[in-house]
Amino acid sequence: MRALDRVAAVTSKDLLLEWRGRQTATAMGMVALLIILFLGFVLGSEPARAPAVLWVAMGFAAVLGIPRLTQAEVEQQALETLLLYPGSREHIYWGKFLALVIMLTALLVLLCALVGVLFNIPIWTHLPALIAVGLFGVIGLAAIGTLLAGVVLHVRARELLMPILLLPLALPVVLGCLRLTEAALAGRGEGVWLVVIGVFDLTALLVCPILFEVVMEES
Amino acid sequence: MRGQSFLGGAALGFLAVGAYVGLVASPPDAFQGEYVRIMYVHVPNAWVAYVAFAITCIASALYLAKRTPVYDYVAHSATELGVVFTGLALVTGSIWGRPVWGTWWTWDARLVTTAVLFFIYLGALLVRGLADDPQRGARLAAVVSIIGFLDVPVIHYSVVWFRTLHQPASLTPGDTKMALPMLAALLLGLLAFTALFAYLLTLRIRLARAEDTGEAA
Repeated sequence: MRALDRVAAVTSKDLLLEWRGRQTATAMGMVALLIILFLGFVLGSEPARAPAVLWVAMGFAAVLGIPRLTQAEVEQQALETLLLYPGSREHIYWGKFLALVIMLTALLVLLCALVGVLFNIPIWTHLPALIAVGLFGVIGLAAIGTLLAGVVLHVRARELLMPILLLPLALPVVLGCLRLTEAALAGRGEGVWLVVIGVFDLTALLVCPILFEVVMEES
Repeated sequence: MRGQSFLGGAALGFLAVGAYVGLVASPPDAFQGEYVRIMYVHVPNAWVAYVAFAITCIASALYLAKRTPVYDYVAHSATELGVVFTGLALVTGSIWGRPVWGTWWTWDARLVTTAVLFFIYLGALLVRGLADDPQRGARLAAVVSIIGFLDVPVIHYSVVWFRTLHQPASLTPGDTKMALPMLAALLLGLLAFTALFAYLLTLRIRLARAEDTGEAA
């Protein structure tokens, strides 16, 4: 099997499992929605607050959803089988990474629409810039998130550990995307933050697959 | 053993001399008054914390490459000490900030970066403790430590550009604007805390080794 096939197989397996249950997507969506409602109500829904609310909600939804990425392997004891398939473990990383990118993108699209309505922001006029920013952010979150999903695989209290692992590590993504979203909505460029997110995404994509192989070793 | 006791003695001596110079022999600062003396503890604490995390990162990488337990003992010990000293740096900084900046805490870049570091390495310790067997715990903690350390520069700059107000670094090479006794107090503090850290590190590594062999036996 070629590498691409293996990656695609893992991705489609994870997405199919999620599609059948739709638990993670529902939970992530609900939590993000509640955070947006809470923050919008508590802070007031001036349009200037929208980027911060959007990315904080994304961050916390990711905290909730990422441990579920390896849930099937834990619950069905499917990990050994997955690891037994021939080929590199990096392919498992890329497969799960892609599945997470797709889920987070879907979530982000939903949240963007919601924030646009609640905070009265004309999303359509800034769509290309917003898509670019969103992609940068989702890739960063997913790159580090896939590694952490592997880390919590063999740890007790996996869901409880995720916030303390993900939120500090992914802080640059949240801060950067927040500023980039503000810039996109204001219609200006923000080179510095593109560099920050670019460096983060690149480092994560280079290092995390290698570390993922270490994480996936059997005891 | 002999070397370790010597290190402990040296740390104690430096701490005593540093305390004398810092508290008695050096003058109060023109702007900060007596509060500047907190700096002689705060800066060394922060320095030691960063050294500890650098050691953690190197030892973790070596452990993953070679799988010799001794690197893991070093990484584990340095992580623990790093978390302790980061905590101390945050507390002393806060105590200093109250009279000088007029606030316990501000959303300044270096404060936030240090606080974030604290949580990353706390996370590494938690992963180690909660893993289902010690060897896997060691590996997972190494992974978290490495990715955390690589993340530090990005976190730092993202926080700097988000908003900032910290005074520039206390010591930059070639440009020291401090009175000699104050500089001496600061350098003595750095020396003393580095020696103390080295002593505690050797002690903790010995403990980690003893625990590991005790469990195996």
